Amino acid sequence: MATDTLSSSASPAIRVRGLTKSISTPSHRVDILRGLDFDVPAGQFVAIMGPSGSGKSTLLGLLAGLDNPTAGSILLDGEEIVGLSEDNLARLRGRKLGFVFQSYQLIPTLTAEENVLLPAELCGASGQPAARARELLNSVGLAERRDHYPVQLSGGEQQRVALARAFMLAPPILMADEPTGNLDSANGQHVLDLLLTMNRQQRTTLVLVTHDPQLAARADRRLLMRDGVIVSDE
Amino acid sequence: MESSSVTNSGLSYSTALKIAWRESRSSASRFLFVILAVAIGTGSLTGVRGFSRSFRAMLLKDARTLMAADLSIRVFEQPTETQLASFRKWESRGLERTWITETVSMLSGDGVAVPQLIALKAVDPAKYPFYGQVTTTSGLPLPAVLAGDGVGVSDDLLTRTGLTPGSTVRIGSATFTIRAVLLDEPDRMSGSVNVGPRVMMSRENLDRTGLTQLGSRASQRHLFRIASAQADAIIQQVRDDLKTVFPDAVFADYRETHPLITRGLNNATTFLSLVSLIALVVGALGVAMAMQAHLQTKLDSIAILKALGGRSAHILRIYLSQTLVLALAGGALGLLIGFGVQLLFPLLIAQFFPVSPTVEFQWLSIVEGLGLALLSTLLFTLPTLLGVRQIRPIVILRRDMDGDAPPAAERWKQWRASLLAGFLILAGMTAMATVLIDANWRDSFRISAWFVGGLTVALFALAGFSWALLRGLRLLLRAPGRRLPSALRHGLANLYRPGNHAEAVLVALGVGVMFTLTVYLLQSSLLGQIAASAPPGMPNVFLINITESDRAAVKSFLENGPGVQGEVVVSASASGRLKAIDGKPIDQIALEGPAKRFLRARNLTWSAELPKQTEVLAGAWWKNSSPDRPEIAVNQESARLLGLAPGAVMEWECAGRRLALRVAAIFRTEAVGPGANAEFITSPDALRQVPMLYFGAARVAPAQIPQLQKLSFQKFPAITMLNLADVLDRVQEVVDQVALVVRSISAFSILAGVIILASSVAGSRLRRVREVVILKTLGATRRRIANTFTVEFLLLGGVAGLMGSLLASAFSSLLLTRLLDARFVFSLWPNLAAIVASALIALAAGWLASFRILSQKPLEILRNE
Repeated sequence: MATDTLSSSASPAIRVRGLTKSISTPSHRVDILRGLDFDVPAGQFVAIMGPSGSGKSTLLGLLAGLDNPTAGSILLDGEEIVGLSEDNLARLRGRKLGFVFQSYQLIPTLTAEENVLLPAELCGASGQPAARARELLNSVGLAERRDHYPVQLSGGEQQRVALARAFMLAPPILMADEPTGNLDSANGQHVLDLLLTMNRQQRTTLVLVTHDPQLAARADRRLLMRDGVIVSDE
Repeated sequence: MESSSVTNSGLSYSTALKIAWRESRSSASRFLFVILAVAIGTGSLTGVRGFSRSFRAMLLKDARTLMAADLSIRVFEQPTETQLASFRKWESRGLERTWITETVSMLSGDGVAVPQLIALKAVDPAKYPFYGQVTTTSGLPLPAVLAGDGVGVSDDLLTRTGLTPGSTVRIGSATFTIRAVLLDEPDRMSGSVNVGPRVMMSRENLDRTGLTQLGSRASQRHLFRIASAQADAIIQQVRDDLKTVFPDAVFADYRETHPLITRGLNNATTFLSLVSLIALVVGALGVAMAMQAHLQTKLDSIAILKALGGRSAHILRIYLSQTLVLALAGGALGLLIGFGVQLLFPLLIAQFFPVSPTVEFQWLSIVEGLGLALLSTLLFTLPTLLGVRQIRPIVILRRDMDGDAPPAAERWKQWRASLLAGFLILAGMTAMATVLIDANWRDSFRISAWFVGGLTVALFALAGFSWALLRGLRLLLRAPGRRLPSALRHGLANLYRPGNHAEAVLVALGVGVMFTLTVYLLQSSLLGQIAASAPPGMPNVFLINITESDRAAVKSFLENGPGVQGEVVVSASASGRLKAIDGKPIDQIALEGPAKRFLRARNLTWSAELPKQTEVLAGAWWKNSSPDRPEIAVNQESARLLGLAPGAVMEWECAGRRLALRVAAIFRTEAVGPGANAEFITSPDALRQVPMLYFGAARVAPAQIPQLQKLSFQKFPAITMLNLADVLDRVQEVVDQVALVVRSISAFSILAGVIILASSVAGSRLRRVREVVILKTLGATRRRIANTFTVEFLLLGGVAGLMGSLLASAFSSLLLTRLLDARFVFSLWPNLAAIVASALIALAAGWLASFRILSQKPLEILRNE
């Protein structure tokens, strides 16, 4: 597997040290993550598992720079993202990260194609983004539905549009949060197959949060979380 | 698969616009309200200013016709020898001149019960008008109408008196025949006396009336025509030369708009522009509210955009583009509305300015309208747009993270941004108002700062009121043991529905009601006050144009006249120019601000004794005046401005005579009434050589005024007797017309408020539909639900009306007592009418925006959930 050849390279795709996240409310303080340390080599497919409230989604959000940790360090592709400004984080996400969410997170007022185009537009990508968006929609089997709005698409179709969007800028790292969580098993399987195929084609580092052991079984590596700490790494 | 390469260029404006456009497709109805809210204010503003510009363009284009001449000089004195010599000099060089006299007088005739006040104009029909034409119903040319004892009259004289062409009338001490009805005279707008029906006669006939004695203050206009070949070359030279002999005159020539009309036009434009700006600000508040509601529904989309790499600046760019396009669309629609306002404006002012300037395509108005629409929208949506930066992308993964309080540094940044936005709004509003005010920049800035300050206070007061009232209603609703009828309870509860923006609606509607009602209250208070200011003791009949020879006879006539009560006052007046003080020429004395008035002609009067309720502050009143020792007393204010003390010598020029008057006393008076506001009083003999005019005033039992007028006209036909009630009628006509214009323009702010209400109702449509469906499922009838909504809308409108009327009373009281020196009396009915009207308007707007909700079938909605 590609992972093996790449894992020996000097810097990992993701390096996490002492990562902590706490939330303070007027009445109490909640420690969601309690000092995590791990590396993810480039090209690896890592599944993060754990029960609800274990801190999986928070970890994913921090890795993606969607939120700031309370303490610790995160290096993406050798670049420290903790302490970056909101705009620099956004710039980094546009350049290096792709996303697939459990509830698809398509913009309801845009068509399928317009949703796929968005990352390219936000980053001011050169080339022919429209042609690539169509190719990607074609590769997820939705070429005919590119002018449909999210509300006119089934859940599985919406998630396939989200997949196409995630690969629009060919990011080196892809984050997926329960990508099949809202889908029935047939659609879930279809989406997962597509995700893994595209991931292989694009040689992307994939971090996937899931409850599903079957899905996790297809990963190169599984991190099991409980109460904000990693309890197993296999 | 070929991938797009990532650059650092970020989101371009064109892409932002593209995304904004895609976004807008799903919010068409909300955006329609935004466009309308912007359009209302812009329409009102561009309508007012466009009309003003068209009017000004017409004044310039038709300047010659509107003056009936190339050059016009207006004074209130008959020409002196020096002045006549100047005229002759220019006439010898080929200029033509004609002389027009305008004054008020009385007219009587067979079957005319009470002598009528008329605006008399005497012309030389052989020359007048140099440009334009006087048209008459008979089709006769002017010289034929005014030949012999002929006069032309306006048709309102015939309507009021029942006279007809051919009737004989008496004016002054002569009789005339009405020969034609005047339809149009070119220089009516640039004339001086527009009170009462017009009567036009020849100059020879004016002499026959005996109305213009030496010292008369009739308006004299000297019109010149310059042969067109040399006009441009010498007009300035003629003007400059005549200015040296007519220092007090108002000059106007064909190269400019008439200064008197222009001044009025500028003031009116400034005032109405500021009124329109209120509508624009109210509209902008509505836009801010709609954009906030819009962004509230876009929180997830914005978080997604941020997760996908969109920077705050990019997202701001998208919504900024959206806002600007909406403002532009609103501005464009506003220009169309403004065009309509321009077409309707001549109808509003028809009675006093019977003109209809051509509505022209004006780049300046378009740029100004669009610019102000963009700026106001941008300013008021700024805080909402800046809020985009605070939306955190993590909310798409974990909604509970949203409640995580931002760190102190972040909170301080947010505060700073809010303060900055607030400052920018105030500065922007001041800048907009400054642009709209027609004055030098210093005055414009001062007035606009007051305007913006006042408006801000009003808006905050309304917001505070709204908050307190809503809170009060809530307490009422929750009071233990209180069982309100269910429709009322639900209607009240609806005011707190999330996204209802009840406070913003109350503020917007309240501002509209407040302004419109303030205009009405000021108008009615002032007129009521003038009418009531003739309480027992105060004069209600005034006599003007009394000559020295008639003075004693008029006084005695009045003292013994029918219905005359109390004291009769006859006061003297002469016009004079101050030339020097203690030998120093007046133009070498530094006079600033109000002191500049002493450079123009002033009125002097004389009195042997110290007038009543008058106190000598310095010096002493003369005991025995002597022609060899002419003296003058000066009131405190004028003495302060001129730096005078007893003993100073003032040199005056009165009717060509030079008088040196020693200051004997400085006085202060507490008296009110005719003749009490004298600045300069001389000793009895000081003005002996100067032609004096006398004014009389008396209190007469109202029922006996017509009889007194008849007797006065028989005995003193050249004296004009003004009945205060008649004058008030004329004042009322003018004030009503002005108030109509102001109210029409201020109604735009009510309209903007209504649009905001409709927008708010439409914005909460989904929630309303759900409520209706649930209520229907639980067995509520359509009628019951309709009652609930009706209560909600009536409450909103009624409360806005109540706040608006309370503030209107407060503002009127402030303006009347502080600025206009008048008394404020609270009047219940106008306030009640405003509250009811506001409630009904809100009801209509609310139902217009939500009537389809009632017909929703429960299953359609529940199935979609």
